[in-house]
Amino acid sequence: MKDYKELSICTDATETIKKAERENIELVWDRKIAQEPHCGFCELGLSCRICTMGPCRIDPFGDGPQKGVCGADAEIMVARNLLRMISAGSASHSDHGRDLVEVLYAVGEGKAGGYEIKDEEKLKTIAKIYNITVDGKTTKEIAKELALAMMEDYGMKKKEISFVSIAPEKRKELWRKLNVIPRGIDREVTESMHRSHMGVDNDYISLLLQGVRTSLADGYGGSMIGTYVSDILFGTPEPKVSALNLGVIKEDYVNILIHGHNPVVSEMIYLAVEDKELTDLAKSLGAKGINLAGLCCTGNELLMRKGIPMAGNHLMTELTIVTGAVEAMVVDYQCIMPALSEVAKCYHTLMFSTSDKAKFPGMEHIEFNPENARERAFKIVKLAVENFKNRKKEKVYIPVTEVKSMTGFSVEAILKALGGTLNPLIDAIKAGNIKGAVGIVGCNNPKIKHDYGHVELAKKLVANDILVLTTGCANVAIGKAGLQVPEGKVFAGEGLKAVCNALGIPPSLHIGSCVDNSRILVIASALANALGVDISDLPLAGSAPEWYSEKAVAIAFYVMASGIYTVLGVMPPILGSKKITDLAVNGLEGVFGAKFAVEPDPLKAGDLIIEHIKNKRKALGLAS
Amino acid sequence: MKTVIINPERCVGCMQCRFQCALAHSKSKDYFSVFEEIPSKPRIHIVKTKDKEPFPNKCRHCNPAPCEQSCITKAIYRANNDEIVLINPDKCINCGMCAMACPFGVIRYHLYPHRKLSAHKCDQCILRLTEGEKPACVSACKVSALVYDDINKYMTNVEGRKIAELVYLGIREKREENINGYNLLKAYNKSLLEISRR
Repeated sequence: MKDYKELSICTDATETIKKAERENIELVWDRKIAQEPHCGFCELGLSCRICTMGPCRIDPFGDGPQKGVCGADAEIMVARNLLRMISAGSASHSDHGRDLVEVLYAVGEGKAGGYEIKDEEKLKTIAKIYNITVDGKTTKEIAKELALAMMEDYGMKKKEISFVSIAPEKRKELWRKLNVIPRGIDREVTESMHRSHMGVDNDYISLLLQGVRTSLADGYGGSMIGTYVSDILFGTPEPKVSALNLGVIKEDYVNILIHGHNPVVSEMIYLAVEDKELTDLAKSLGAKGINLAGLCCTGNELLMRKGIPMAGNHLMTELTIVTGAVEAMVVDYQCIMPALSEVAKCYHTLMFSTSDKAKFPGMEHIEFNPENARERAFKIVKLAVENFKNRKKEKVYIPVTEVKSMTGFSVEAILKALGGTLNPLIDAIKAGNIKGAVGIVGCNNPKIKHDYGHVELAKKLVANDILVLTTGCANVAIGKAGLQVPEGKVFAGEGLKAVCNALGIPPSLHIGSCVDNSRILVIASALANALGVDISDLPLAGSAPEWYSEKAVAIAFYVMASGIYTVLGVMPPILGSKKITDLAVNGLEGVFGAKFAVEPDPLKAGDLIIEHIKNKRKALGLAS
Repeated sequence: MKTVIINPERCVGCMQCRFQCALAHSKSKDYFSVFEEIPSKPRIHIVKTKDKEPFPNKCRHCNPAPCEQSCITKAIYRANNDEIVLINPDKCINCGMCAMACPFGVIRYHLYPHRKLSAHKCDQCILRLTEGEKPACVSACKVSALVYDDINKYMTNVEGRKIAELVYLGIREKREENINGYNLLKAYNKSLLEISRR
């Protein structure tokens, strides 16, 4: 018997965890307990598997070995490991961006079956950033030219990647001085792998600066390209109301879940689900229709643009299958636990993998590319519908009803809500109705009680008149807690409540998936430019209360390097080096005007952020 | 008396001792022993305490040993001037009495290479000792959580000094605590635990 209350704050989670236990289904929490205690060397960053003279470990107590076989000390080991984490994170977001650029190119070539340009205006705006003339060209021509220009951002022809141009001048000057402006997205990732090879870069400061450069190649490179090209191809999100939690899985419908990160696959599944013929087939089999719901960031992408509800975040993914009401789960890549196909074996759920980059034992592989996507999506949806007859009614259990949540707050949508300029927001900040803004982002991690970190922090911040912006798994947590509907203003302090009333917005705004953290960079830069200051002068902060992934490390670094104070709920593997730990929580402030803090208790993390915002307001001459 | 001494506050839970223990007792004694027909099983166990901290748990080679006293077939016997408690798998009838009698819960039942099921526990690496080596778990431990030493000498050196320091500091101001990464990690993990129990 597990202590369910220690595992999650969500009823839909605890109730399905109980069902899983009755049905002998192994879950992420079981596997975590089996792994405990985790290896202390690895948690401290003091183990190195980079070469085969090792593997090596350093004794944190100082009696045993203090150097690896090559002579690497604690600083070198921790820095090399951290650099590789950042690189893997940047690589993941950027490779996701690359797939979108390829679709954009195929659209330009007229070879992309079901895909088209949904937001021409945005295509032109972005083309201008890339110095592409748009007059007298067809949409397809611009698309192709832009795709080719973006491909160069991935290459080695440039001195600076294109989107760096959106950052405030002061920030760019600082980056140039430190030599951390990325030259090419793939180049920085490759160089990081090179530098962390044995016998290359052995200065921990130099290694960490390359980490910063690689993370910026993510934030202002791969991720921003991912966001903008998705907007161009699938439409820039606009505010709308949708729903969250396991209750979005409907007992009398064929349920299809999409899981992963890239909208390239899920947008096509969405089209197929809308198809009348397939819906009629579902009805002929006794279902009321076909119901599509999302998980993780591909869920966020569809939620933002199409209002498709989300069944849950990272730690809910196994539990969606445990409901026994899921006919099919379609995955692309990232954060898809290989355990999912094991859980699916115990139910009738069909599992489909779709990317040549991400194959899973126990899943049927139906590969998508721009040309065949439409046809493949229809094939999968048909298989899912036909699977409805295999559902075992006695195994179905959907413990809750859905919670409404607002979504779709792209930068453009926020500007529109504000009447076209940032001025109302700036005025509200100056007047103190809004004290500041905080991005709550990142994953779930079974080391932290599911959703507790996200929700308690969000509640504390909005109660102190701090506007919250959410992405990724944090969105689902905070939305489920009721903070992302206009009625969520009951959680807000008086000042923020007045702003919510005036604009009809919730105190916490869903701004997208994890690549959409780039939207935070765009807003922060625009705010800084409007006020003629640097981002580090603004009353802003970032937080990843329950992060787990390498991608989150890359995000944390580009947010910090942009000048935003960043509070992490989970300890990164750096404690083995006192110098790097000191640098992260103190020294960085003097370099980037921002630093990290690690605080697993969301209430204390809230205090840290409130204090930080107070100080920033004071420095700007604003009343606290 | 030389024995394996455990400093649980130093255990980082890396499981290297378990790996090297299994290896030292395997047929081939090389890394491919995991592919042996009957894989060797480790005789040291890393258990989680209530606060989820790792604790290395192995046979204490008690004297008198409750397992030895409860063994009706005399499969359990003493060697090396009675310092080490051993099991003869051929005599063992797997009755389970020794496991029940053991106050530390370190006895398991596993197949031995000659396909005989038997009680199974630490043999203090008696073969390695005769070759002048330390027990495998001690050699594996990079953080001195496991030490092979004379118990009286070690306690005087380490515990005695710690106690003396405490007594001395009791009448002086508190000295600044030595902060290392692992202490910080432990403090962090402790707060995680507290938060999850809210």
